[in-house]
Amino acid sequence: MKFLLKRLAFYGLAAFFAVTLNFLLPRLMPGDAAGAMFARFQGRLSPEALDALRRAIGIADGPLSLQYVHYLRDLLHGDFGISISQFPAPVLEVVWTGLGWTVLVAGSALIIGFVLGTALGIVAGWRRGGVLDSVLPPALAFIGAFPYFWLAMGLLFLFGFEWRWVPLRHAYSDGATPEWSFTFIADVARHAALPIFTVVVATLGGWMMGMRSAMVAVLGTEYLALGRAKGLSTVRLAWRYAGRNALLPNVTSLGMSLGFVLGGSLLTEVVFSYPGLGFLMVQAVRSQDFPVMQGLFIMITFAVLIANAVVDVLTTFIDPRTRSREA
Amino acid sequence: MIRARFATFIGALLTIALGAGCRSERVEAPPGVLTLTASQSQATWIRNFNPLMPGCRWPSAAGIYEPLGVYNSVKGEWVPWLATAWGWRDEGLTLAFTLRQGVQWSDGQPFTAADVLFTFELIKRFPALDQKSVWKFLDQVSVGPEGEVLFKFKRVYVPGLPWIAHQPLVPKHAWASIEDPVAFTNPNPVATGPFTEVRLFQNQVYELGKNPHYWQPGKPAIEAIRLPAFPGNDQANLALVDGELDWAANYVPAVERVFVRKDPTHHHYWFPPMGSTVFLYANTTRAPFGSVSVRKALSLAIDRNLIVDVAMSHYTLPSDATGLSAAYEKWRDPGAVARGTWVRFDAEEAGRLLDAAGLKRDAKGQRLLPDGKKLSLSIAVVNGWSDWVRAAQVIARGLKKVGIDASVRLLDEGTWFQRLQQGDFELAVGWSIEGVAPYEFYRWLMSRETVLPLDTPAAGNWHRYGSEAAAPVFAEIERTTDPVRERELEVRLQEIFVDEAPAIPLFPNPAWGEFNTRRFEGFPDAANPWAALSPNKMPDALLMLTTVKPRAQGAR
Repeated sequence: MKFLLKRLAFYGLAAFFAVTLNFLLPRLMPGDAAGAMFARFQGRLSPEALDALRRAIGIADGPLSLQYVHYLRDLLHGDFGISISQFPAPVLEVVWTGLGWTVLVAGSALIIGFVLGTALGIVAGWRRGGVLDSVLPPALAFIGAFPYFWLAMGLLFLFGFEWRWVPLRHAYSDGATPEWSFTFIADVARHAALPIFTVVVATLGGWMMGMRSAMVAVLGTEYLALGRAKGLSTVRLAWRYAGRNALLPNVTSLGMSLGFVLGGSLLTEVVFSYPGLGFLMVQAVRSQDFPVMQGLFIMITFAVLIANAVVDVLTTFIDPRTRSREA
Repeated sequence: MIRARFATFIGALLTIALGAGCRSERVEAPPGVLTLTASQSQATWIRNFNPLMPGCRWPSAAGIYEPLGVYNSVKGEWVPWLATAWGWRDEGLTLAFTLRQGVQWSDGQPFTAADVLFTFELIKRFPALDQKSVWKFLDQVSVGPEGEVLFKFKRVYVPGLPWIAHQPLVPKHAWASIEDPVAFTNPNPVATGPFTEVRLFQNQVYELGKNPHYWQPGKPAIEAIRLPAFPGNDQANLALVDGELDWAANYVPAVERVFVRKDPTHHHYWFPPMGSTVFLYANTTRAPFGSVSVRKALSLAIDRNLIVDVAMSHYTLPSDATGLSAAYEKWRDPGAVARGTWVRFDAEEAGRLLDAAGLKRDAKGQRLLPDGKKLSLSIAVVNGWSDWVRAAQVIARGLKKVGIDASVRLLDEGTWFQRLQQGDFELAVGWSIEGVAPYEFYRWLMSRETVLPLDTPAAGNWHRYGSEAAAPVFAEIERTTDPVRERELEVRLQEIFVDEAPAIPLFPNPAWGEFNTRRFEGFPDAANPWAALSPNKMPDALLMLTTVKPRAQGAR
């Protein structure tokens, strides 16, 4: 209990720092939002419009301390303000257009990559020098070494453009009605397949190597020898004894990556024209859209913190040793 | 054995997953639905059809809503739109518009002078909506005895005409109750334009159906326009090459090979050099750029043909000394062009001019300022805008050849624009302001009225140049309603610009435009240039939206 409280206090402090930093950073950036919006039109907008834009967007004035108080108050009310680049849409509405899709694609890609990679790592580690162990790691390392952008573009070109197995863009067919029907879900799955596949292929190697190394370290331990002497089945030994003990480092990195899911896989979204937070973030930075930037950063920060808290708890279940000092 | 079984299993899985039945055919829009992209570079759409603010969805300002008149920038002539005629009265103090009869809003209500009055009152009450600052020169708007709308000016200001004529007009009956029209997203527009019915709005695509009450009989011939969201140019190009887009405004590299050759009968493009002219701006508040011969020398050191070649893949031409793009073709004066010899590439002449300006070379061949300091300067460009970056590299190389230590300075877009606005640069590559007549273009290049103090953000005239000679010409154009006299004055502006070289023109931007005639026809191109092709040209796009029609059945 004391352990959990201590962690909680730590997370509270971290959250406070993140929130404060989130307030300060955009204000330290050069440029102004009205100017950025005007600049996007590259001379097609008459210069008079710049004044009008400044009047409409009008970044909050007043002393920094007061702005900070207002910022905290709005934050507590779940009010992230009005987007500037998408003026006058509220930030939540802007973020909402991408949130679900990012969670779907980046989330499933992460889970599939983690589960598959870890499983492959266990097998490869258990049967060192086997077919799987000698073929997959170099192959995955080879693929993983490609710049992701290049890999995704290439696959999109082949599967989407040349062979037409998958759609070229978007999260579902243009004009399809979002609903809980088989056709729509199948449509979404068909659109998400290639983006997820590319991310899994690009990240699989990392999970697998990590798991394999951890396995190798565990394999030499005496309790495995004991288990084998007791006559436990190979499957039980490999998965329950060696696998479970070797899992910790991978679970820790899962916690870290889980948080970044919300950051969105920018490149995936750009290549597949997939709606999501990553592109929104870049767009917000480009157009000096502080409110959207802040909204996204806050969400990401909290996602990282929550994911890590969950992993902390999870770790104590997988490996009681991590909580032994408190017990 | 096991491996063979495994392979079969994976194969079966793939077949099920991707399945022959799932094979995606080319996405085909329903008949009569024109799919297009105007450069909005956005991964997701936000529903906003407020035509009075710039963040609205295409074509809110001209397509959903409409103006009184449309200036056809290719032909250089006005097309009457919601007004049938207009003219100056009271020696240019009043502008009178005769409204078109029988125009209805998309909900069936009649369009009247009250709507025009309401719109202009609205942008007066909310200055944030007055994107053209018309109330700077307007005094009042009223209805005349014959039902015409009278715009009374505070002073004679003839160049105000296009700003009034191009103002999108909103209906009084639907907008009078809107409390905050600045923050109004107008999700279901009531408008006079050809496309007013939002048939579909999703975060990745929207579709606008035709106005059931449109005032041009039988138009638009298109059922609906559909705009998919593309996060970037590459994705839009893929759709274009694939034949999914019927109309686009994309930059396409190697367009003949990439796009046209895929289907030469139907794939067409037209890149007329009528976009904003790209300039090299020299900050005239800093030595030695206050000197006209130094500016001309900089210009002479630039190999524009090389820029057009390496930065613009020959999609445009080197600019002449007037800096006017093809959008001002009818104004261009051959005499002024001939006088502008400082846009040719002549390093020797550049050296002579620099010598004469007192910028002598030292032992190592480096140019020195008159006070003996080494002349070294940086060219500010936006990091990642590769065409400009390459242009800046060519410029820097040319300047080095004449002994000026020039380097390219890559800046983040926000920083670059901030410095430009505040006049915090030596040399910078930037765009220029587009207008209907050269007056507007030159006003933001050399009018004393547009010169702001350093550190005060300026929307144009970043190089801070005010011409003595041009001041009376600008003033007279503002008072001149006679087209013959106006032409003389606009030519005079060109001559002054050529003499004083306030900024250094590089090349006009092409107005990117592509179309596919597999499903639709009636687009303009180089052979039949009746309007601007690029959907980014507003309000010209209205001309296209009302003219393009589905291809006759069976025609190939």
